[in-house]
Amino acid sequence: MRTRSETVRLEGHAKQAIETGRNRLILAGCLIGLAFVAVSARVVELSALRNHSEPALSASSVDTTLTVGRADIVDRNGLLVATSLRTPSLYADPKEVLDAEDAAFRLATALPDINPAETAAKLASDRRFVWLKRNLTPREQQQINSLGIPGLHFFDEWKRVYPQGSLTAHVVGFTDIDDRGISGVERSFDDVLRGGREPLRLALDLRVQHIVRQELAQQIATFEAIGGAGVIVDVNTGETIAMVSLPDFDSNVAGQMDPDALFNRATLGVYEMGSTFKIFNTAMALEAGTATMRSGYDATNPIKISRFTISDYHAKRRWLSVPEIFKYSSNIGSVKMAIDVGTEGQRAFMAKLGMLRETALELPELGRPMVPNPWRPINTMTIAFGHGLSVSPMHLAAGVAAMVNGGIRRPLTILETDTPSPGERIISERTSHDMRRLMRLVVDDGTGRKADAEGYIVGGKTGTAEKVGGRGGYRRKALMSSFVAAFPMQKPRYVVLVMVDEPKGTKESHGYATGGWVAAPAISRIIARSAPLLGVAPVDPEAPEIRRDLMIEVPVEGGKRLASF
Amino acid sequence: MRRSTILWFLIATCLGVALFLVKHEVQRREEQLAQLHRQILSSQEAIHVLEAEWSYLNRPDRLEALVRRHLDLVPLDNQRLGSIELLPMRLPLPDVGSTDGMPVTQASIGSGTANLPPLPVGRPVVFTREARR
Repeated sequence: MRTRSETVRLEGHAKQAIETGRNRLILAGCLIGLAFVAVSARVVELSALRNHSEPALSASSVDTTLTVGRADIVDRNGLLVATSLRTPSLYADPKEVLDAEDAAFRLATALPDINPAETAAKLASDRRFVWLKRNLTPREQQQINSLGIPGLHFFDEWKRVYPQGSLTAHVVGFTDIDDRGISGVERSFDDVLRGGREPLRLALDLRVQHIVRQELAQQIATFEAIGGAGVIVDVNTGETIAMVSLPDFDSNVAGQMDPDALFNRATLGVYEMGSTFKIFNTAMALEAGTATMRSGYDATNPIKISRFTISDYHAKRRWLSVPEIFKYSSNIGSVKMAIDVGTEGQRAFMAKLGMLRETALELPELGRPMVPNPWRPINTMTIAFGHGLSVSPMHLAAGVAAMVNGGIRRPLTILETDTPSPGERIISERTSHDMRRLMRLVVDDGTGRKADAEGYIVGGKTGTAEKVGGRGGYRRKALMSSFVAAFPMQKPRYVVLVMVDEPKGTKESHGYATGGWVAAPAISRIIARSAPLLGVAPVDPEAPEIRRDLMIEVPVEGGKRLASF
Repeated sequence: MRRSTILWFLIATCLGVALFLVKHEVQRREEQLAQLHRQILSSQEAIHVLEAEWSYLNRPDRLEALVRRHLDLVPLDNQRLGSIELLPMRLPLPDVGSTDGMPVTQASIGSGTANLPPLPVGRPVVFTREARR
C-alpha cells in the first residue's frame, strides 16, 4: 500500500510515462472490448435472430432417387412399354493392349458376333479409346473378365428396352445406340423423356392393342394382304386407345428392319379412303340442309363426266333416299348430294374436319393429306365417295369420332389425358344423331352386317378403294378395304377402324375382297373382345329406348314409307 | 487462482473429448447413411429391372398362350354379363325343411322374408337375331 502511494507520487518524466502507458492500455482494452461485443452480437444474430442458421436435419448430399438414362413409358394401366436398363459396354485403350492380334482372337471366343480381323485393326490403332461392343449381357461381361486381356474396360451405359417387343412398335418407336429418340413417341417426346423421371403415360391400352393387332394380323393372313392398320379412338377425349400398323418390327432390334415394316400405315400413309368418306359427305349434306333424311336422289343412270363414269357397286337403278344411298353405298347418290352442297362448301367442311392438314397426334410420322389443287368440280364429285383426297387412317378415325360424338371435333392425342380439349363443333347434335342412325343402319341391314357384335350396337361404314397405280390410273385388283365403326351406337364411346392393304378374295368370301368381307369381321371380333376391357356393358338391342333412338324411316319414292331398324 | 485454472483445464479437456466423440459418432452415422443410400439405390435398380421383367412376362400374347395351354378360360362373351335389374324376383323360401342340405330355422325364414319388399321382375335379355324377326 505504501509502495503504491509512493509510486503515485512519482514526479516528472516517470509519471508522464506511466500516464501514457495507462492511456494506451485503456485504448487497447476498449478495442478488444469492442471486438468482443461485435463477436457476441454476431453470435446473438446467428443463433437467435436468424432462424435458418442451422438446418434441423442434415442436408444429405446423396440422391436417393434412381436416375435412369431416360424416363419410362407406360400404357394407361401403368404397364411398362419402354424402360432403360444399365448394361456394360466394352471399350479398349489400344495403348494398353499388348498383342492386338491375340487379344482380338481371344475376344472372339467370348463374343462370337465380332469380327476378329476388324477388332485387331481397332486394337492396333493409335487412338486411346475404341468401342468394341455396346450393351453386353452380364454373361458376356463375365466371360470377358475371365479372359483377362489388358487394356479392355467396361463402361456402364443405359440401354433402352421394350418389354412389349413389337406390340407397340409404331407408337413408341425406338432410340439409337446413344439413347436419342429416332421415331414414334421416343422422338416426339425426346426432351421430356431425357430430363424427366416421371413415366410418360400413353393413352394406349396394351390389352386392346394386342386384340387389334391379333385380329388385324389374322385378316391379313386370311386374305393374303400386304399390310394393314387398326385404330381405336375414344370419341369423347380423342385418346388413341390402340394403334397398330402391320407389318411391324421389334423396337428392341429396330435398326435392322426394312423400311416397309418401319412405315406407319396408320399415321404416315395417306390413302384414298373410298366409301367411308360417305359418312362425311352425308353429314355435310344434312348439315348444309341440301338433303334431309327424307329426301333422295335418282340413281338410275351412271354419271358421265369427261372421261370418267361414276357408277354404283351395288347398283339399284332407281330413285334412292338418303338413308338408302348410305346403306347401299351409292356413288351416284353421293355425288349428287355433294354437287348440291357445292365445291366451296365441301372444301370448307373438309377443312373444318381437319382433313386438309396433318392430325394433331404427337408423333413425328404424320402423313400430309394429298389435297387437290385446284379443287375442281370433278374433285368435288370424286371426294363425295372418297377418291381424290388422300388422308391417313387416323384422319378418318378422328373425323368419324366427331361425326358420332355429338358433332365436336377434338384433336387426337397419344397421351392419356384427364382434361380433354373442349374441341370445336363441326355438325349439330341433330345431324350427329342422324349419322349414328345411318351408321347403325349399315351394320343392321346394309353392307356392313358382318361387323355387328351382339349386344354392343355397332354402327359403321364399309370402304373399298382401288389403289392408285403407277401411272395415275387405278389398279382394279389392288384394293384398300376398310371398315370404320363406332360403338355403342346409342351413346358412342369408341371408334374402331380396320384397314387392310391389297387383300385378295378367298373361297369363303366368294372372291370378294371388299371392306364388308375383309375388314368388317375383324371389327366385330375386336369389339366383342375389347368392349368388356373398355368397360362397355352389353345392352339388349331390342330394348325400346334403343330401338326408338336408332330407328330410321326409309322413304321410298311416292311417299310410301318402310320402317327399318 | 490455481484451483480455477485446474477447473477450467478440466472443463476444456472434457469438452474436447466430448467433441471428439460426437464428431466420431457423426462420421460413423454419415457412413451408415451413405451405405443405406447405396443400398436403396441398388434396390431401386433391382426393382427397376424386375419391373421390366414383370412387364416382359406380362405381354398379352404370352399370357394368352399360357392361358390356352394351362387354363380352361374362354373369352368373356356378353351372355355372361348382366345387371342387377335383370335378376328375377326373389323366390319365396320353403316353409320347412332345408335348402342345399342346410337346416333352415323358422326364425331365419321369418326375419328373411317378412320385411322385404317384392323385387322388380327383370325382362330376360335375348341377344339372338332370330328372336327379333
